Amino acid sequence: MKRVAVDIGGTFTDCFVVWGDRSVQRKALTTHHNLALGFNEALDTACQELAVGREALLSEVDSVRYATTLGTNALIERKGPKVGLLVTAGFKSTVPIARGRGYGEGLDPVAQMDIPNADRPDPLVPIPMIRQVRERIDYKGAVVMGLDEDDLRCQVRSLVDAGAEALVVLLTNSVVNPSHELRVREVFLEDYPAHMLGAIPMVLSHQVAGRKGEYVRGMSAIIDAFLHKVMYHGLGSLELNLRNAGYRRPMLVVHNSGGMAQLNSTDALQTVHSGPVSGIAASEHLAAQGLLGNVVATDMGGTSFDIGIVVEGGVKHYDFNPVIERWMVSVPMVHLVTLGAGGGSIASFDRMYDTVRIGPESAGSDPGPACYDRGGLNPTVTDADLMLGYLDPDNYADGHIRLNARRATMAFEDGLCDELDVDPVDAARLVKQTVDANMANGIAAELRARGYDPRDFTMLAYGGNGPLHACGVARNLDIDAILAPPFSSVFSACGAGNMHQMHIHEMSTYLVLFDSVAQAVFSDFRRFNGIVEALEARGREDLLRQGMPESAIEYRLELDMRYGNQRVETAVATELSRLESVSDVLRLMEQFHRSYGQRFGEGSQAPEAGVRINTIRVRASVSLDTVDFSDILPGDARLPPPEAVGERACHFVGVEGALATPIYDEAALRPGTTINGPAVVTTRFTTYLVEPGWQYRAAGQGAVWFLRGERAAA
Amino acid sequence: MTQQTIDIAAESLSDDERALVDDFLRDNTLFLAPDREIMRNHAHGPRSRDEERVLSGEPDPHALNLVRGRLYAALDETYDMVEQMGTAPGAKWGDLVTGIYTARGDLSAISPKGVVVFSGICHYPIKFIAKYWAKDPTVGLSEGDGFIHNDSRYGNIHNTDQSMIMPVFHEGELICWVSSTIHEGENGACEPGGMPAAAESKWDEGLKMSPFRIVEDFQIRRDLLTYLQNSVRDPKLQYEDIKVKLHACVRLIERIRAVIAKYGKDAFVGCLRKNIEDVDAEVRRRIREMPDGTVRVQAFIDGTLRENCLMKWNFSVTVKGEKMILDCRGSCPEFTNRSINTTLASLKTCLATSYLIYIWPDLPHNMAVFSPIEVLTDENSLLDASFDAPNAMSLTPLFKSFSMPIYAMAKFLYSAPKRYTSVYASHFNQPFTFVYGGITQHSEVTGNFCADINGNGGGARFDRDGEHAVSPIFGYMCDTGEQEFNEEELPVLRLVSQHLSKDRMGFGKYRGGLGYEQMITARDSDVWGFMTGGTGSFHPSAYGLFGGYGSPAYPLAKVKDVNVFDVLKSNPRQFRFDMVELMNEQALEGATYGTYHMGMTFEPAAQGEVYMICQGSGGGYGDVLERDPELVMKDVEEELLSPDLARELYFVVFDEATLIVDAAATAAARDAERKARLARGRPYAEFVADWCTAEPPEDLPYYGSWDDPKVIWAGQGETRRQLDADTLAGIMMPNPKDLRIAELEAEIAELKRRQAGA
Repeated sequence: MKRVAVDIGGTFTDCFVVWGDRSVQRKALTTHHNLALGFNEALDTACQELAVGREALLSEVDSVRYATTLGTNALIERKGPKVGLLVTAGFKSTVPIARGRGYGEGLDPVAQMDIPNADRPDPLVPIPMIRQVRERIDYKGAVVMGLDEDDLRCQVRSLVDAGAEALVVLLTNSVVNPSHELRVREVFLEDYPAHMLGAIPMVLSHQVAGRKGEYVRGMSAIIDAFLHKVMYHGLGSLELNLRNAGYRRPMLVVHNSGGMAQLNSTDALQTVHSGPVSGIAASEHLAAQGLLGNVVATDMGGTSFDIGIVVEGGVKHYDFNPVIERWMVSVPMVHLVTLGAGGGSIASFDRMYDTVRIGPESAGSDPGPACYDRGGLNPTVTDADLMLGYLDPDNYADGHIRLNARRATMAFEDGLCDELDVDPVDAARLVKQTVDANMANGIAAELRARGYDPRDFTMLAYGGNGPLHACGVARNLDIDAILAPPFSSVFSACGAGNMHQMHIHEMSTYLVLFDSVAQAVFSDFRRFNGIVEALEARGREDLLRQGMPESAIEYRLELDMRYGNQRVETAVATELSRLESVSDVLRLMEQFHRSYGQRFGEGSQAPEAGVRINTIRVRASVSLDTVDFSDILPGDARLPPPEAVGERACHFVGVEGALATPIYDEAALRPGTTINGPAVVTTRFTTYLVEPGWQYRAAGQGAVWFLRGERAAA
Repeated sequence: MTQQTIDIAAESLSDDERALVDDFLRDNTLFLAPDREIMRNHAHGPRSRDEERVLSGEPDPHALNLVRGRLYAALDETYDMVEQMGTAPGAKWGDLVTGIYTARGDLSAISPKGVVVFSGICHYPIKFIAKYWAKDPTVGLSEGDGFIHNDSRYGNIHNTDQSMIMPVFHEGELICWVSSTIHEGENGACEPGGMPAAAESKWDEGLKMSPFRIVEDFQIRRDLLTYLQNSVRDPKLQYEDIKVKLHACVRLIERIRAVIAKYGKDAFVGCLRKNIEDVDAEVRRRIREMPDGTVRVQAFIDGTLRENCLMKWNFSVTVKGEKMILDCRGSCPEFTNRSINTTLASLKTCLATSYLIYIWPDLPHNMAVFSPIEVLTDENSLLDASFDAPNAMSLTPLFKSFSMPIYAMAKFLYSAPKRYTSVYASHFNQPFTFVYGGITQHSEVTGNFCADINGNGGGARFDRDGEHAVSPIFGYMCDTGEQEFNEEELPVLRLVSQHLSKDRMGFGKYRGGLGYEQMITARDSDVWGFMTGGTGSFHPSAYGLFGGYGSPAYPLAKVKDVNVFDVLKSNPRQFRFDMVELMNEQALEGATYGTYHMGMTFEPAAQGEVYMICQGSGGGYGDVLERDPELVMKDVEEELLSPDLARELYFVVFDEATLIVDAAATAAARDAERKARLARGRPYAEFVADWCTAEPPEDLPYYGSWDDPKVIWAGQGETRRQLDADTLAGIMMPNPKDLRIAELEAEIAELKRRQAGA
């Protein structure tokens, strides 16, 4: 297999190249003015290692896959066209009001509670760019008021005159009857044909999101329209760059649904957060290949800590209304939680509880932690790690940043020591203890809210600070096995390299499986199957359009089910593809019963209140070749530690005083190498901290395990 | 013949006699009414012996912090559970909370999200259970018990909110309590939806559950559940949400056990108690940071939901050292046959919540926030009502209670060396919504309220405008919901879902955030109705700050005797998706147009009849003449402000076509207005002499003190009375329907008389 996968992040462009039986990881700085330059640089260094030219490589690979934060950055920087919005009359303020709570989406809980300081984000569509269309459709799809086309033409004209560069149409209940939205586009194209210079793109909400919820669907369509141009140009120039370099196949773009598709089958919205989602996809792939069972994927970087869940049996965890930047949207996105805990998180004195508080403020990368010596004055997690002896001041970030331990100590003395009445090292130890506990609590809340016990999970730790804090986090969760995966510094790119082509289509329904008032069980199988068939057809068309063979397409049916009028959005993945009989219905309800009980506790089910399906979702996918990671498990072979390259006095949570801690280098990555903590292994890309009580075990393909208890003895 | 009795409270009894009498009374208690000792004390109690043992050893605060983190993660998890599993509209949109209490019942921690007041008040019923039921041989307290509760006289905001309360044991010892609360809505009251404006007595108000055990060994008792389901209009809701709350509590207990397994019981007990003591100490520090002094404010409620009258909410805050006193004396007396009374416990909890949301939003949410603060009231007043007074619509005065500290504390905070949030004009404090009831298009009987309540305008800040429709006065991160989902479940169609209301705002240098109009009509059900149950149609609800305007008053508007769906089919251009245009143009043939006060009690609504309300604006901040003309133009461009008001109120001179400001002309217009103000001004003594009167205007139905807080005025005209604030008695209002009948009978009599004369 020959393949290129790229993750274009805000700072680095990561490249993962599979070339036969070799896999290579490389990084380059992201070149925002022309993304192709950074990509070329990263690819060229990989080519050097493989001793093959760029054109030769690109002409032979089966695919080039991209995950990118381009869309996220464009949203943060508000780089996009002037968007005009057409809404159903009476819904003019739906988007500006953002369900009331929109002021707090994407903020930390303390900011959410501060109502006197509540501010909504700068809008993507300012109020003067919103127009009402005189029409109305009810929840069943019946037309309450016909579309007033004369009025529509006036409203469109007024938005065009106001300088709209893109238009979004958000008509109420369009997902059950899209006729008015479709007619709006026809009328628009009559007046503003697409072939004219300066043609304005129009996005219809029901085509971006298939579920009910006018606000979240509207925001999805708005973000799609806002990002369309920047994503099209950014990714289009990348594809052109590939073509010029000899690549002849379609470029594939990673979606936040965990699948990927060609550029011409990708909505801009689907690319947002595709980088972190690729990391979770990589975790899923590793879990499957290494038979790891349940995995919680954790990515600790400079400013944040991402958590993803991969469970055995293929149950997917999605957010159906994720928050993108500061807006709630409607798109099935792989579940990803971000906590404000990273190396740059600032530690401060908590006067109320007489202890340390971490974040939510972060020093970020500029000025960064105090020890970066770039003007940062606040004590941070990375400063604590340095003071505790874990980091090599001369070889941090592959030698790119020289750390100043004196600065770190001064920041602790000025910011924490007096109030806490402890010396700087003890303060640093408290910081480590607190941030590890915070991350563990975040993981625990995520897993337990879905009915899982953290002890049943293997923790995957990646990102710049992941393997440094992994033992501390896992200790708080009673997890005994941690995998620092291979290619962890380009882990998202690695994930992109192992994805499958996939499309998800969904539709809102009001489908009562069990009517507890009428004591009736659902029997309109034709209606249900008709919806499923229609959704399958849409997925099939997507994949056929991209050259996939029909015989390779697999479908998976998911249903959002609930008891009575609850809000639960539990997706039940069923092996059924059609309902043919009452026993199918009963089977479906039984499956929901089990799934619900696992999540909320046995006995919490309430079928007596009735059972409903709210959304029908079909995942259409084609499985592609993937990289073999079956050597990542710790084998039986145990090799003694290599010769230590040094020794430092390190301080650990729960241990009085300093421990003389051996330092190892890349030699410790030799498969089978076993080191009992305390120890520090510093490689070019990663620092592995082996805390006392933990055992370090190097496995194949660069994988590293941290084990303890019975897992270490096994 | 008269019977001789002895006064058993008389001090002439000997100790032995006293003991005998006490025993006799205890053994022969007819009815366990709310315990005065519990209900009038909002502060946390002293350390228990166990807490003293744990904390006297100077526990490591950092270790306790680890325990705290675990507990908050568990509370967060259970909040999400209830929100996901809950059936009540309130649960779906965030009107819920979970909490953990010490073994003695003091609230230690609640879920970081959620409505603070719910858990903030559950310590009262917990203390009742601990004092009475735990030792009662017919009840007792065991592992797996769950007590349901909703009666605000035993500690609740109003009886639409139902709580599940469970004790937690460790090795046979009671170590804490947990609770889960949801605003359920329907409760079997005389009007659907659980908030009966028409209730004339407590017996009209639906379920009044003093805490009783409905769960044994973690199982819901089916006999009691069936009784409750039979007592309300929505048995499905009652069933589902009891189960939801139970399982949230069970999950919380599991997490507590895990914490104890890891850190030990002492660390857990110590953490619960330290949460309270540390917050208490922090609040005292913050009070000390403020300047000493007293700030007085007054607010008025303009109706009982049945009739229009002016009710005074008297309030002052005094800070001295680390002491803060909130004095509510001199306020309106209670009404014995109106449901708008509140209990003292409810009042205090809402005041505490105001401090948590608007003054110190960074503080953890527990009862210690309010423990250092003293509250003074007149017993039998609207704010401290008696046991017999109905209180299902207690929110009428309670909504105001969230604003009173905002008004008063702004002046303290303005000059305080450290603030914990922005200086803030009042949030709109009379959340409007439609309460509904009837049979849905899915043939289900229901009664509840809409999530529109969650979009009140925010107050202006000292440095910027208020946010539009941002949250209800009592919460944060609450959700106004999605109408497409609402219409799927209810036979209700919103002709106007959310439309920011032009010109209806608190003006100022910085304006308040706007509310939004809603137009609603029934569809696909012939058995349906609405009520509104609000005030503020005559007197503004949110006041301005430092020269800013208050919110305007908001009426209810209706278009009856029409089926608007016919109009939308046959002549759609006749219809206006704007409340003001629809009401002013009156273009729908045969329709009856009317405006009313917002206290509408439940009335049947035919399909296609239109009901309109407008969510309110927050108060403005500062002088309108100081508003940046460009901000005025922005409001005009966004159609939030009419050009006329921009000119007449803000004195901005501009080109209406381009919205370009003529800066020089604007400055001149504003200078001229300042001079005109001076010309209109009068010496203070002259103003006082002319303005102040000895008593309220004779024709004004007025309730509350006028000047002297010890003298309470009640009523109007010849029937007006003066009451002693120390010995207040409830006011009985005539039934408006009786008054109307009397009026009509008088008219009939007059007609008959004329007819006879003719």
